[in-house]
Amino acid sequence: MAGYEKSLAPEDLKISSYYKKDYTSLNTLITAIWITIGYVLAAGLIVISNIDALLKDLTITKFIIAVSIAVGAYLILLIVYCVCASGFYRSKHNQAKQRVKKYYRELSHLGKMYMKEKK
Amino acid sequence: MSTLLVWKEQLQKIYARFSTYIIKVLQFILGLCVFGLINSNIGFMKAASSILCTIGLSAVCAFLPLVVMVIAATVLIMLHFYALSMPIMLVSLVIFLIMYIFYFRFTPKRAWIVLLTPIAFSLKVPFIIPVAFGLLGGPICVFPAAFGTIVYYILHYVKMSSSALKGGDAKGLVDSLMAFAKQSLTNKEMWVMVLAVVVSLLIVYAVRTRSVDHAWKIGSAAGAIIAIVIGAVGNVALDVHLSYGSMVLSGVLAFVVGLVLEFLFFSVDYSSTERMQFEDDEYYYYVKAVPKIVVSAPEVSVKHINARQEQFEGGEGGKGTMAANTANKKGTVKSRRPKAGPVVPKARNKAGRVDAGMAADDILLTRSLTKELGLDNLEDNLTEDSRRF
Repeated sequence: MAGYEKSLAPEDLKISSYYKKDYTSLNTLITAIWITIGYVLAAGLIVISNIDALLKDLTITKFIIAVSIAVGAYLILLIVYCVCASGFYRSKHNQAKQRVKKYYRELSHLGKMYMKEKK
Repeated sequence: MSTLLVWKEQLQKIYARFSTYIIKVLQFILGLCVFGLINSNIGFMKAASSILCTIGLSAVCAFLPLVVMVIAATVLIMLHFYALSMPIMLVSLVIFLIMYIFYFRFTPKRAWIVLLTPIAFSLKVPFIIPVAFGLLGGPICVFPAAFGTIVYYILHYVKMSSSALKGGDAKGLVDSLMAFAKQSLTNKEMWVMVLAVVVSLLIVYAVRTRSVDHAWKIGSAAGAIIAIVIGAVGNVALDVHLSYGSMVLSGVLAFVVGLVLEFLFFSVDYSSTERMQFEDDEYYYYVKAVPKIVVSAPEVSVKHINARQEQFEGGEGGKGTMAANTANKKGTVKSRRPKAGPVVPKARNKAGRVDAGMAADDILLTRSLTKELGLDNLEDNLTEDSRRF
């Protein structure tokens, strides 16, 4: 119990103060924002590294195709990450809730033992 | 073998006793390796590459979570890159941010694998990483291992072409930005090694989790061989220049590390394997039970034989004292023994106290039980009855 109080308890208590749906939705939304930022950074890096090849013989059609590929890749990545993040945070909430439940059960048991000892 | 097992048990006991200090020391050594490696390879900023800074950072990070060491190492790399050239720092920062966004947000506790991977690469033993983390970790470890490989190759590239990358005028900055970004992302050797590490780790994990005999050994060997094969294929197909000698040496060392890890974390006796089959209403169960090898470390107990004490216990007080006194006069070694004599009664007192404490606990427990069961009334009735008679 003391080990749990020192290591996992603060985060678990914070997580279990949310409803599961709220916690999962909030963190999935944050993940979506981060993924968007990450994708923009990665796409920027790829564009910078291949700028010569991309600008060579660039036409409107090629540009539209490149943009649609980029948007499609972004949407796929976003959906995959949101689904994974949703599952990840749901299981994280479940585990935290179970640990907190067990902790409180043990705490009440300890309280009863102290009461008995006092009597 | 049994001696080794006894040593292992003793090591476990020592670790259990001093784990706090051992972890701090290991963290400090890891910090020295990481910061020392960074400063010795890309120490472009003089102030940050001093030995004092290395030791200071290691000492500070030893008392903080490992994720702080990862952040400190990243900041140190950025400082050195900034001292070399601004565009390189920007590109590296973007790469590190991408790593953070796509993976480390979810499991920051495994971020330290990123630190170990470049260390293994710089020691020319990169295949130890997939074997070790395939055995001890899970498939999720492929991400930090792959990111660690990328970090190592970025550092390696900057070290090799630092003079060419040094900042100049505005056009030079843009050129070096594009060149560095291109080189960082299109380094064939880097991608071959990333593939080798990822595939090897997944194979080690897949074999290790099977129920076949000697799964850990087979997994280690398979992982090391696959990594060497991927490296060799990359050499031939993509014309990269990985040294065959160092790859084979790294593979052999990875296998040896696998054996050591198996001994430490998975020592089982396959010769005593039992296969059982049973069923319930819903399932048939086919169970393979492999017993663990457990050897209890021998406990050394020092028994003090005290002539004076024995005499006292025998009830011959005067004679005993005389005998002890004569023994004291005989030599220095013997004269020390009576000094240890009074320790025994003290221990007895302590035991007595412990017994008294235990007895008190028993009495309290009995009382609470009798109260709960309503036996105290019964006892009172019985005593009243006996008085009447």
